[in-house]
Amino acid sequence: MKKIIWKLLRKNISNTQLAGFLLANIAGLAIVILGLQFFEDARPIWEDEDSFIRKDYMVINKKVTSGTTWGNRSVGFSQKEIADLESQPWVRRVGRFTSADYRLYASMGASGRNMSTYLFFESIPSDFIDVKDADWSFKPGDRTVPIIISKDYLSLYNFGFSGTVGMPQLSENTLSSVPLGISIRPDDGRPRVDLQGRIVGYSNRLNTILVPEEFMEWSNRTYGSGKPQESSRLILDISSPGDVKIKQYMDAHDYEIAGDKGNSTASYLVNVITVVILSVGVVITLLSFFILLLTISLLIQKNARKMHSLIMLGVSLKDVARPYGRLVITVTSVSYLLSAAAMFLFRNLYLMKFRAMGVAPAQPWLALGTGLLLTALISLFAILLIRRKVRNSFYTV
Amino acid sequence: MQIDTISLKRTLPRVFVNEQIPPSEIWKKDVSFSRGHNYVIEAASGTGKSSLCAYIYGNRRDYEGEILFNGTDIGSLRPEEWQELRRTQLAYLPQELDLFPELTALQNIRLKNSLTGHVADDKILHWLKELGIDSRADYPVGRMSIGQQQRVAIIRCVCQPFSFLIIDEPVSHLDEQNNRIAASIIMEEARSQGAAVIATSVGNRIGIPVDTLLKL
Repeated sequence: MKKIIWKLLRKNISNTQLAGFLLANIAGLAIVILGLQFFEDARPIWEDEDSFIRKDYMVINKKVTSGTTWGNRSVGFSQKEIADLESQPWVRRVGRFTSADYRLYASMGASGRNMSTYLFFESIPSDFIDVKDADWSFKPGDRTVPIIISKDYLSLYNFGFSGTVGMPQLSENTLSSVPLGISIRPDDGRPRVDLQGRIVGYSNRLNTILVPEEFMEWSNRTYGSGKPQESSRLILDISSPGDVKIKQYMDAHDYEIAGDKGNSTASYLVNVITVVILSVGVVITLLSFFILLLTISLLIQKNARKMHSLIMLGVSLKDVARPYGRLVITVTSVSYLLSAAAMFLFRNLYLMKFRAMGVAPAQPWLALGTGLLLTALISLFAILLIRRKVRNSFYTV
Repeated sequence: MQIDTISLKRTLPRVFVNEQIPPSEIWKKDVSFSRGHNYVIEAASGTGKSSLCAYIYGNRRDYEGEILFNGTDIGSLRPEEWQELRRTQLAYLPQELDLFPELTALQNIRLKNSLTGHVADDKILHWLKELGIDSRADYPVGRMSIGQQQRVAIIRCVCQPFSFLIIDEPVSHLDEQNNRIAASIIMEEARSQGAAVIATSVGNRIGIPVDTLLKL
């Protein structure tokens, strides 16, 4: 019976219209799948800590003006200002810089030469630090303090300073092995405290000299002036790097972004381009979906009399609708498979370049899954339309 | 469910509502049809005979009043319930035959029969032979004469179990002999199932024994 019903209802199927749907649907789906897959594959490039694109972390401070210099305007962030920052949609977390509330003196000796200088320490919550080191901890009573300095400082020394004064150039490892004397000199006349410092890492992100927060809390409590401190610098974890609103907010509040080199626009552009490409893909897919709906509506219209005759015989509505349901599932499946194939084909072209850059390809499941979901939705809607049309043709009047 | 009675309560096609209709024994009356009886409805053309068949078969709903199966208003039946009734309770031969022209005579008949498997293939072939169209069994119906098509449709309509067989001018294009054969096939099937036959006719009446003759 199914064969005969198919024989009756396959009349008037327009191959041209179905080919039109296939073409449009494959184009749309392939763009969506390939766009998503490219985004996934390329993700390591901008999620890399050192990447030129990624800039999820941002250090900000208030602009130093003549007002701040002469003491009318505080450079510290008040609780209210921090709370306002935290409430911004593009802020994930806010970390405060804490400065040492005492005077510090550091000395360093190597090959019989000694250098000493006043120094400063800052600390931030350890999850903002881009250097992963197991030694990054301090307990009161420890004699050694781990320190992270900015990579820029070492570069400044090696390429700017050492040559002019006849000092040796230092590698990261050498510098880490050089003992660093630290002495804390409280203001209130208490005796100085001598500790050992050890450089455990070099940060790309943070332009400062960092010590663990535990050390900072302990030392400020023990040797500080006891005056409440306001953070003058904040580190922000940004959820949408490159968002124009960030720049607008900073300008409106007279905040400065440290080391702002405009890199974030690259990340912003990548996001915008991805969204644009995916939207184009979705729009084309939607248009192809309408082609399919039109094709089916036309087909049902042309075969309406036969379908009604089948219903008059007592053939169940499901059996009348089934051939077109199968037709829809067949063409959408073919379209999905071809789109997936197109994705793999084009992907190979850029994967070669990615591999050369040392970027491992991502799994294709998200892209393939999204394509499958779109295909399933299109099929489902088309099948629902068919069922409704068959049901509506039940009564003549 | 098995349909035992079909009742019409003051039924009237909507198009007639504002018209003066000639005296009728069906429209706007209370009429019942019961299993095991044969009814012939005679009508002049344009009096709504095909409409009546379509109402009872659930194909059209443009009427006033009520039509009841075993006392239940058929207006409440869902399409799925109708389809079940059309497979097991109501057999229908529409005046326009409603055959598929691109299918052969046998394919048309088998399509209906495959819904219930009610009649053996041998019997179908036997009926084709009796009605003199066995040589046309594998011809597309669209290439047959109206009379031949009518015979195919007659065979097709009895290829299912039924309590009521509604035949709308079934023999309008048949000669005396084929009329007799068609009537005997129909009566044989109706009797064996204890079913009722409701036949309409404008002129050429099918040769079945008539229990009740109604004028539409």
